[in-house]
Amino acid sequence: MIMPRGQQLLLPVNPLFMLFTMALALLLDMLQSMAWTGNAAWAPDWLALVLVFWAIHQPLRVGVGVAFVLGLLTDVHQTSLLGQHALTYTVQGYLATMIHRRILWFDVPSQALQVLPVFMAAQLLELSVRIAAGGLFPGWSFVVPPVLQALMWPLVTFILLAPQRRAPDPDKHRPL
Amino acid sequence: MPLGSLERSPPPFFKQGTSALTKLVMFSALSFGLMFADQHYNIVQPARWVLSLIVFPVQWVALRPQALWDHFDDVFESKQDALSAVEQARSQLLNQSVRASQVEQLMLENRDLRQLLQLRERLGSPAMAAEVLYEAADPFTRKMILDKGALQGVQTSSPVMDEQGILGQVTRVHPLVSEITLVTDREHSIPVLNTRTGARGVAFGESGGAPLLELRYMATNADIEEGDMLTTSGVDGVYPPGIPVARVVKIERRADSVFARILCESLARVQGARHVMVLEPVKLTQPSFKDLQPPPLAPVKGGRG
Repeated sequence: MIMPRGQQLLLPVNPLFMLFTMALALLLDMLQSMAWTGNAAWAPDWLALVLVFWAIHQPLRVGVGVAFVLGLLTDVHQTSLLGQHALTYTVQGYLATMIHRRILWFDVPSQALQVLPVFMAAQLLELSVRIAAGGLFPGWSFVVPPVLQALMWPLVTFILLAPQRRAPDPDKHRPL
Repeated sequence: MPLGSLERSPPPFFKQGTSALTKLVMFSALSFGLMFADQHYNIVQPARWVLSLIVFPVQWVALRPQALWDHFDDVFESKQDALSAVEQARSQLLNQSVRASQVEQLMLENRDLRQLLQLRERLGSPAMAAEVLYEAADPFTRKMILDKGALQGVQTSSPVMDEQGILGQVTRVHPLVSEITLVTDREHSIPVLNTRTGARGVAFGESGGAPLLELRYMATNADIEEGDMLTTSGVDGVYPPGIPVARVVKIERRADSVFARILCESLARVQGARHVMVLEPVKLTQPSFKDLQPPPLAPVKGGRG
């Protein structure tokens, strides 16, 4: 494959960095709910965002299985129905793996538009499962998180790809 | 054009492992199984225990900024605030002391009356103080997490109250924390007594968005007014009788329904409670119905002996 001029080659990803960012996203979710939003329905789910990001960029390392385990942990933290987030994260992991070959051909804002349906599908699935299990309807602000998560996509892409954008041969002019 | 990478190992061509679709089906089935078991049986509780122990350190870290902020907030509280708090506490004490002086006499009177009626002395319910760690993030329910768990002796179905009234009930106990379902949760119901009329009823969590209670199954022509106080009636064997629960705020009498729609506001701070009391369930401190029944008569042997 011929590289177009000016296209940067990325460094290989560090699996420890992936683990670190997912733990950080889980921490951020907890911090957000415990200190700030409580059980508000509009709070964005950072873990889902990071998970979908890695499932798209590193489908061989992060996929459905990792999503399921992280979903279980989220369920226990949120005291929701055990298996609810496991299900929605599994579905998001699957959808992300399905679109990963296509989506990376687009520029970042278009990618954001394409991950929106993934987040929205998971959110609607969560809503239908909980209503079926007898939960109360949390209000229409429930459709806000997928939009927020999609809006965060460029920012997350910038931050999570930054370590891979470093120079392969650092010298004293390019220390990073 | 996807971003190229300096990855040294080529991606596998043929050996790709289990396909994503297979994994999706497998894990979804597992999730549905877990949800069903969680909803209908109590068998996933051990799994929750183990996972909660894994999650606890992360939660502890996540709670630190809030704790630090609270600490500095306390340290830099203004003198004015402190003085007004003292003033408020003093006036409250004055109000309470008037009532407290009557307590001696009332207790004496009560004891005589109870002896007269040969009622068993009502036991004081043992209680434990706890702190609310955080409100559960699940938007479909109304729950809170306390900082005391099974290791501190919290039991499921213990009533929880704050200084104003009943807050809820312990529904799940983990080793280090426990989970209370608030009175405003849709799945929660509590038997109440109208202190003005003495009428009994059952208050459910309101299913709409607002954190209210709904007093259901009261006839349209029932004697109830806005501002009526509801206390626990004690018929359930969980909540001790006489603890304030809610105040009636809105009554809708509709022509098309036999029952009135009565909305009540919880007296306990269901949204901002910090320090709470975990009481022991009444059925543990009181003898059960079986104990109260007279022992069966011994069969007489040999007829007329």
